Amino acid sequence: MTMLKIDNLHVRVAGKEILKGLSLAVNPGEVHAIMGPNGAGKSTLGYVLAGRDGYEVTQGRIEYDGKNLLELEPEARAAAGMFLAFQYPVEIPGVNNTYFLKAALNAQRKARGEPELDSMQFLKRVREKLAVLQLKEDLLNRAVNAGFSGGEKKRNEIFQMALLEPRLAILDETDSGLDIDALKMVADGVNAMRAADRAFVVITHYQRLLDYIVPDFVHVLADGRIAESGDASLALKLEEHGYAWIAERKLAGHTVAERA
Amino acid sequence: MAALAIDAEAWRYSARAWQALHAQEFVAASPVAELPQSLMAAFDWPQTRTNRIVFVNGEAQADAEIRLRDGERLHLVFVNMPAARAARWRREFAITLDAGSAEIVEQHIGVAGADVLGELDSQLRIGAGARLRVVVLSDLPDSVSLRRSERIVIAADAAYASHHALFGGRLQRFDLDVAMAGARASYLARGVFMPRARQHIDVHLDAKHAVGDTRSDVAWRGVADGRGRGILHGAITVAQGADGADARLQTKNLLLSPHAEIDAQPVLEIYADEVKAAHGATVGQLDERALFYLRSRGIPFATARALLIGGFCREAFDGIADGDLRAHMDALLDAHLAQVVA
Repeated sequence: MTMLKIDNLHVRVAGKEILKGLSLAVNPGEVHAIMGPNGAGKSTLGYVLAGRDGYEVTQGRIEYDGKNLLELEPEARAAAGMFLAFQYPVEIPGVNNTYFLKAALNAQRKARGEPELDSMQFLKRVREKLAVLQLKEDLLNRAVNAGFSGGEKKRNEIFQMALLEPRLAILDETDSGLDIDALKMVADGVNAMRAADRAFVVITHYQRLLDYIVPDFVHVLADGRIAESGDASLALKLEEHGYAWIAERKLAGHTVAERA
Repeated sequence: MAALAIDAEAWRYSARAWQALHAQEFVAASPVAELPQSLMAAFDWPQTRTNRIVFVNGEAQADAEIRLRDGERLHLVFVNMPAARAARWRREFAITLDAGSAEIVEQHIGVAGADVLGELDSQLRIGAGARLRVVVLSDLPDSVSLRRSERIVIAADAAYASHHALFGGRLQRFDLDVAMAGARASYLARGVFMPRARQHIDVHLDAKHAVGDTRSDVAWRGVADGRGRGILHGAITVAQGADGADARLQTKNLLLSPHAEIDAQPVLEIYADEVKAAHGATVGQLDERALFYLRSRGIPFATARALLIGGFCREAFDGIADGDLRAHMDALLDAHLAQVVA
């Protein structure tokens, strides 16, 4: 069954229409890359899926596991297995990272009717995941993202993803601002989690990340809708020709249609 | 106490609240009262049992002037006990630390009932090179009003560091006059206050850099809910010739309801030429991005809100080395948080 089905989605942000009829279907086990120029609506897509306030759906629908996703609060979406790795992870001074992670994991488990983890079980799981992302344990005793470097914040997002084990993970420009080593760690973290019952939507501006996380599908988002879809080779063509190439092809297509 | 004059900004400086209080009739509070067990539990910590003075409505078996020894840790407990009618008490005391280092835990608690108005005037003298740390925990029922007036003189090379947690009460007013009287004297203060319902908490700081190379570092956090009102007026004066002074004053405040109000006013007066001075004041609401971030990880709305408010306040507790005391402050904060996020 299709895990995520987005149909003709129109979204308005601060009175401006950003998504203009976006459709996308994601099945379990698949990795979809969403590429596109700045301002195309990539981050809006991530926020709408995660349920941020201020993103008004004016048309269309989103189904997740056959249910209307738009009716769910952000925390209910998380409990249902959705995870957004933020492009700009938020610093939360005064809130301890361990406390936050344990509260998040146990709130999700509780919502799903699973037993909560005690401190020992929780720490065991945390240590396993930290090792994969080569994050230091002292990160646990710090405040959430406070004073983290850009790379640490991004790796912390993937660490959270590894810990929470979502079924659908949306990565919003997780590669931006990462050096090549950090990029590889992030990709390793994602690849280690690829599974038949888990899907990824990888939003990125550059093809570079897709050398390490090889997608099953690549979609080009332009002017609020999917302008082109293909396999991993589409990302390489984009890298060669640039986003203008899509716009030109679209324009040519329109011309032909009008003549016919 | 003479009624405070009303000026154009009187509403900011609790004059009206005080006048309303003083329009009320009070009898002298009784110093003899049986303390309920539940109240004993709030302060009867084993670690401080050997050096504790408990004042009941301002009265205790204690000298008017206390001299702290090096290494001493003193626990002062001020208990507000109601009578059948509204009652008031007043107390003066002085504490001196000549040398070495010492610590004071000052606690204000009470039992709900008829109104109690307490007034406390204290003086602290910290001798040359001495170090004094003070933690103030104020957790009052809505029927208690408390005015504290404190004068602190910090001698050369001496350091005074304080942490304050002010919760509850009908009206809490804290007037603080600090003099950095000798070279390299240092004054550090961290505090949090959280008025809710119709509570009113007012902090007035007046800190003076009398000589050069002195240092002050003050940061307060305020959270107001319901019709709660908070005031933080912080004045720092750097005297003429006090070159090399370093003054920092910061106040950050959070409003949780449309009827809550916090007035923050940092004032710097600088008469010296070469000084470092920084001040800042913010009043805002919970960060929507942070709230969404926590919820997107599965944390329910109410819990996420409590986490953020708690985190905002807890930054004021950084630097409290004593784990037991820190745990006690955290628990006190959590108990009051539960009331503002309920």
